[in-house]
Amino acid sequence: MGIMGKLFYYKKKGNFKRSKKWEGELNKCIRCGYCYELCPLFKSQNWESDTPRGKLLLIYGMINSEIEPNQEIVDKIFQCFYCKNCSDNCSAGVPVTDILTDARADLIEAGFEVEGTIVKINEDLCSVCGVCLSVCKYDALSIEKVGKDENKIVVDKVECRGCGLCVSACPSGAISQKEGCEITLPELHTKVSSLLKENKDMKAIVFCCNWSLFPGMQLSEYQNLVKTPYGLIVSMCSGRVAPELVLNAFEEGAWGVMVAGCPPEECDHDGNYKTRRRLVLLRNMLKELNIEPERIKLDWFSTRESAKLTKSIDDFIEKLEKLGPIKKMEITKKVGG
Amino acid sequence: MKIDVEKLKSIVGEKNVSNNIADLYVYGSDASVHQALPAVIVRPKTIEEVQKIVRYANKNKIPVVPRGAGSGTSGHTVPIDGGIILDMKRMNRIIEINPQDMLVRVEPGVVDDDLNRALRPFGLFYPPAPASSRIATIGGEIAANASGVRSVKYGATRDYVMAMKVVLANGKLVNLGSNTRVHSSGYQLERLIVGSEGTLGIVVEATMGIIPLPKFRCLAVANFDKLEDAGNAISEIISSGSQPSLLELMDKIGIIAVNKAMDLKIPEVEAIIMFEADGNVKEAVDFEIQKMKKICEKYGGKNVKMSYDLAERTRLFSGRKKLFASLSRYKEGIICTDLADDMGVPNSKIAVTAKKIHEIAERNNVIMAVYGHCGSGVIHTKIMLDPKKKSQWKDAERVIDELYDYVHSVGGVTSAEHGIGLSKAPPWKKARADILPVMRSIKKALDPNNILNPHKLHDAPDDWVKATKLRYKVG
Repeated sequence: MGIMGKLFYYKKKGNFKRSKKWEGELNKCIRCGYCYELCPLFKSQNWESDTPRGKLLLIYGMINSEIEPNQEIVDKIFQCFYCKNCSDNCSAGVPVTDILTDARADLIEAGFEVEGTIVKINEDLCSVCGVCLSVCKYDALSIEKVGKDENKIVVDKVECRGCGLCVSACPSGAISQKEGCEITLPELHTKVSSLLKENKDMKAIVFCCNWSLFPGMQLSEYQNLVKTPYGLIVSMCSGRVAPELVLNAFEEGAWGVMVAGCPPEECDHDGNYKTRRRLVLLRNMLKELNIEPERIKLDWFSTRESAKLTKSIDDFIEKLEKLGPIKKMEITKKVGG
Repeated sequence: MKIDVEKLKSIVGEKNVSNNIADLYVYGSDASVHQALPAVIVRPKTIEEVQKIVRYANKNKIPVVPRGAGSGTSGHTVPIDGGIILDMKRMNRIIEINPQDMLVRVEPGVVDDDLNRALRPFGLFYPPAPASSRIATIGGEIAANASGVRSVKYGATRDYVMAMKVVLANGKLVNLGSNTRVHSSGYQLERLIVGSEGTLGIVVEATMGIIPLPKFRCLAVANFDKLEDAGNAISEIISSGSQPSLLELMDKIGIIAVNKAMDLKIPEVEAIIMFEADGNVKEAVDFEIQKMKKICEKYGGKNVKMSYDLAERTRLFSGRKKLFASLSRYKEGIICTDLADDMGVPNSKIAVTAKKIHEIAERNNVIMAVYGHCGSGVIHTKIMLDPKKKSQWKDAERVIDELYDYVHSVGGVTSAEHGIGLSKAPPWKKARADILPVMRSIKKALDPNNILNPHKLHDAPDDWVKATKLRYKVG
């Protein structure tokens, strides 16, 4: 190996100076695996290497030179939505996401190409309007000058938490996240459609914010045995529930749509303000279409208010049962007219 | 050992096979101190896929280690000889809930809490409930004969196993047991699989008994100034004929740890006992709880708090539920290791064993918490030490030798509910030398090529520290 080769090798291997300071905390992780249940990524991927425990193991292996970083490991480390369910509920108190952020910085410094759950900008579509900057709470997006009169949006790959609010805010559809984690708009559309198609008695779709009130991740399959009149979809921040997603649910036969988000002052991303504005407009739109606006419900829940969520959903279903199904002909007539 | 990864991909599909280091490193570990690398991870979805994989492995003498959630504490799923990790979590269907016959039929990857969530609308439950029930799979619970907080009244996994479909080492599928509550029709082979830790066959479907949920539950907590008094109170509650549905002990070390980890503000007394009664008649529940309260008070138990309310019961129990991992927070510089974690002792020996554990720990420079489902004789401990110091691992070895010699001398067992795996094998083999040849004969008859989770239990190495690489960087 020549000098350049060696330099490249060591650069790629990384020195993990940020991650190494966490060795004591990584030892505190007893590896009980209780974080599996709390991890939305594990639910969608089902590989243990996508769980918080799995990520901590990989970081531990890298800082102790038991494994060398490679693209597969990097991909795992950069897949996380920072919902912090793991950090907040770890009874060993291990700050999982802080450790992860430092490992990400180390891997970027080592020269790895990263994607994971980080957002991507399609420069051909981006008009550099800057709307995305205003919704990002982590300052992960910035405008960079690239020519005399030319700017572009740049993503800070360490700071981006993958919440995807910028994806739903971008008016040009220029921002995207990779498919496969059940959070992109097309994936959510598919989920809504399949829930309603597979369960003919399902009356409502309930979008739950992953941060405010984690509704629990059922890891086993028993939908065919225990039917509920509603389908729960964890949509990360409620601000990601795009209007077309709500309308899509109605079109697929839902009698109503409920969005469960954080109380306004508690939102990690300020996405709930957007949800509130968005749903007011949608309700007005339903009214125009001669459809009862109360078929759209928005309610706030703090963490650990699962009893309140259950009651709120039950009340909503009761109301929907009184209202009955939407008369489809009327929608078509009105929309068409 | 050369493994044909393409062949495995042709059985379960490309995306369900991985031999990249990111997966191998993670799947080579569990909640124990052990770690080893498998050669490949395979995730089957059907019984036929499991049969094909096992047939291929048997023909080529490749180890196969079935794995549920990987929450085992003694290295049961750590692939000491490499080979195939068979991740059973994709086989996660609850196939049938049958309230008439009071049974459920499940695939092995079904999670315990999910099963109970599905049963709740029927007014039924599946009781063994280990603390890890949020992730533990039924297959893993069968492999370890798991039990938990309610086992004092409702028993362990083995008491609920009715029938099973098992893939043997030669790939053949056998149906064991029956759909009836009792059977007297030959060897109880379904019971043989319980606690076999994946060494005799791979459970691909299980029929488990279920029971009605009680209408009332009342949980109480009593504080004690002496650990021994708390232990004696537990022994008397059991011998008095009371029927607690939960009877747990937690010592001061445990209390301090959960207070630090979760800021629960539990009074830092020498010990607390949590006891619960359940039933369908409130007066009967009241009677039981008052009887147990009186026994606690006789032994100095004070400030007894009790509640029927679910939210309050959850709050009172939250410290116990998360104690295991919280122990890492007890003191800076030390961490909690899963060693000597679940011995079982006769009811009359709880107080003396609890005292002995603290004495042995102190003499050997480590810290050990004493807690557990003491009502059913299960004493949980963990060895808390500085993992970077070589000398501390020597200390841990001495603790394990001394502690298990004592437990066995009072008629106790090495493992009550977590299983033997690797780290508990040396003391267990020493104590039960008489039955090892029988176990080895059974293993040889069912798995002549020794492919199913090899070198565990009776065939595990005699030195647990060197059995595999330790998960911690020592020195």
